[in-house]
Amino acid sequence: MIENLLSGFSAFGDPLVWLSLVFGSLVGYLIGAIPGLGPSLGVALLIPFTYGLDPVVSIVGLVALYAAAEYGGAITAILINSPGTSAAVATAWDGYPLSQQGKAGEALLVSIVTSGIGIFISALFLLFTAVPLSEFALRFGPGEYFALALVGLSLVVGLAEGSVVKGAVAMGIGLALATVGLDTQTGTPRFAASVELFEGLPLVPVLLGLYALSEVLFLVEEGVTAKIKSAPLGGWRTWNWKGLWSLNGVVFRSSVLGYIIGIIPGAGASIASFIAYAVAKKTSKTPERFGKGSIEGVAASEAANNAAVSGAMAPLLALGIPGSPTTAVMIGALMIQGIQPGPLLFSRNPEIPYTIFASLWIGVPVMVFIGLAGARAWAHVANIPGPAIAAIVAGISLVGAYASEGTMFPVYVMTAFGILGYLLRKVQVPLAPIILALVLGEMMETNFRRALITSHGSLEIFYTSPLTVALLLTAILAFALPAVGFIRKRRRAAMAADPSV
Amino acid sequence: MSFNLFKAARAFTAVASFSVVASLGSPVVAETAWKPSGPVNVVMHTKPGGTADIFIRTLAQSLEPMIGQPIVVVNAPGAGGATQMAHVSQAKPDGVTIGINTMSHFTSMLTNLKGTFSVDDFSWIASTQEDPIIYFVRTDSEIKSLSDLVAKAKASSGTINIGGFGPVGSMQHLGTAMLESAAGVKFNWVGFDSTPDIMTALLGGHVDVGVSNLGPTAPFFESKRIIGLGVLGEKRLNGLPDVPTFGEQGYKVDTSWVQVRGVFGPKDMPLELQQQIADAIHEAMKAKTYQDYARSTGVIDSWMGPKEYDAFVRDVSKIATKQLEAAGLLQ
Repeated sequence: MIENLLSGFSAFGDPLVWLSLVFGSLVGYLIGAIPGLGPSLGVALLIPFTYGLDPVVSIVGLVALYAAAEYGGAITAILINSPGTSAAVATAWDGYPLSQQGKAGEALLVSIVTSGIGIFISALFLLFTAVPLSEFALRFGPGEYFALALVGLSLVVGLAEGSVVKGAVAMGIGLALATVGLDTQTGTPRFAASVELFEGLPLVPVLLGLYALSEVLFLVEEGVTAKIKSAPLGGWRTWNWKGLWSLNGVVFRSSVLGYIIGIIPGAGASIASFIAYAVAKKTSKTPERFGKGSIEGVAASEAANNAAVSGAMAPLLALGIPGSPTTAVMIGALMIQGIQPGPLLFSRNPEIPYTIFASLWIGVPVMVFIGLAGARAWAHVANIPGPAIAAIVAGISLVGAYASEGTMFPVYVMTAFGILGYLLRKVQVPLAPIILALVLGEMMETNFRRALITSHGSLEIFYTSPLTVALLLTAILAFALPAVGFIRKRRRAAMAADPSV
Repeated sequence: MSFNLFKAARAFTAVASFSVVASLGSPVVAETAWKPSGPVNVVMHTKPGGTADIFIRTLAQSLEPMIGQPIVVVNAPGAGGATQMAHVSQAKPDGVTIGINTMSHFTSMLTNLKGTFSVDDFSWIASTQEDPIIYFVRTDSEIKSLSDLVAKAKASSGTINIGGFGPVGSMQHLGTAMLESAAGVKFNWVGFDSTPDIMTALLGGHVDVGVSNLGPTAPFFESKRIIGLGVLGEKRLNGLPDVPTFGEQGYKVDTSWVQVRGVFGPKDMPLELQQQIADAIHEAMKAKTYQDYARSTGVIDSWMGPKEYDAFVRDVSKIATKQLEAAGLLQ
């Protein structure tokens, strides 16, 4: 293995490989930063450029692009509350409040450093565990996928600030919205008045509307307010090294979680970041700061969504099965090059997996360098006065929504959800559960029904697999514990109010 | 839903097109009469990475320099292909937006998309590939042949799970229904949205039998993770010479029921333009890159132009109607 790994690194003796790495990282960074675009689109766009290149050169560029694009989503999430992908939503929860407190520079610094470490740690795991863990991931059948989606949804309760009831209402809205579109089993249209809705509600415009446009409406309502004075990001001597080091536990846990969830085909970076965020909140000494500008929250989300990149590579390398939409496109890219990803990849084309390991590692410093250079410039965005930023964000949201499909329909969706987001925030209904339910709803429903088909209608499938049972118990606990706490609090409050009880 | 992002490719192709065309330099390419006015969007009904998806991405390599425009693959997956068909049907009939169709398109227009789309809503431009479906199991399965499968299905009264692409009424499901009626047994159909999902479920033991075309399964055959039970086709596949056909094993099914991949567009496309597109695509299929790929995945080249393909589509729809009626899926 060492020999193969060295040969993987030796590929970097070729300047063309370096060029591909830097080019891929830059393109990925920019594509990730534009709301409406994302890693899978970026990889697909780069494929035509790889036709004439050596497979090793092209795979290095594609991997670098994937990793950098998964990071890039954090930039707009932090600065203007516009997560361009669902994987960056959890980053916005704390990143944007930090930005409003004048700490945009610090948030960006933490996001890029933890993203880099997330990739570094997960790539190490990938090297040693890709094959066994991918085999393990095959145990995920429809029952397990349903249970996993339920675990993701159960986190809603832990994330909802304040009212559990309002959190539940938001989740209900999200689940209801997830049913829009063609039925995945029979092809029957549900709540789809026009053909544009056959695919279901498009996620990116919904995200842009709920988060970015509703923020614009608030900015407009507030008018000219006190200007945020964002502390500029100084040189490395001025950084809070102690603060960064104190994140080591969060970052390590989130990286491992992100890697493992990334391996499961169909789970992916957004679920990884949601779960890592919830775990970080549960294990934090200062959980009350989550959602109001916790550095730990940014670190958890970013380490996890980037670690999921390595995770998604595992089943691709070990079995030829894509772990994410982006790796699915990569399989196409490899096949066009005449390389068949599959169980024989390690023995037949060892240069490919080992170059991927090497490029993940070598790509980290390159990506962090680009990210840091960018962070210095981006941090000034937070200093732009309210009215101007409102206009800029509105513009970005409109263009981002249009670019996501190249038609006007998503622009209308974005506008509608902007107004809905504004109204919901007015009555303190949290937005996070809506997004979570919208992302997980389809996965949950499809797999629930598929599970019942494979079990011939018997519910047995949900309690005979140890993995399903463990996941379902986790979900039940996650649902129940906050609810119990809520009831207790009420009872205590009632007792305090009425001493006769 | 995230696959919709591919549609954004269009916004960026203006930049990409110049560089792609420039980077390919000046190798001698065949002149084609088809000169699209802009980047050509090829709308797919599958997620990226599936058989049809790899087909168009490979063909794009030789097609792009011929027509002088980049090919943008737009992935619009959705039950039975309706999402993609909506996309194609709403496009202008100028050849800039076309789609790749498979047998599933014809079956779904007769079942769950009946009333939404019909054969007459589209122009059927050209056929490109024929690709018989195969049935396979994990190497450690007790089932080793079609007769084993049929015997097991008889003993367990319809509880054998067969995982394949698409909902009930899809091309692969109807192939399975044909086997059911030929053997007098019942299977339990489990529909998936992509071939990688079927492979994951089969290798993980969540379904007993998998259905696919040869392409995506080839590495699993080679590494001996799966074994073939039978080929639904006229003869054995070159890429899988040891796996017998259904007929060889004594199960009489209509062997014209093979997967077909073709090109279609919105209706009212001028016949002359259709012919130009068909000629360009068939010319691009002769390129070495495409031929290497096609032979390695075991597909059979198909060369029907607009007139023949349109007639074929109407014929196959009749066969499909018969199959659906036989399977009790048409009221």
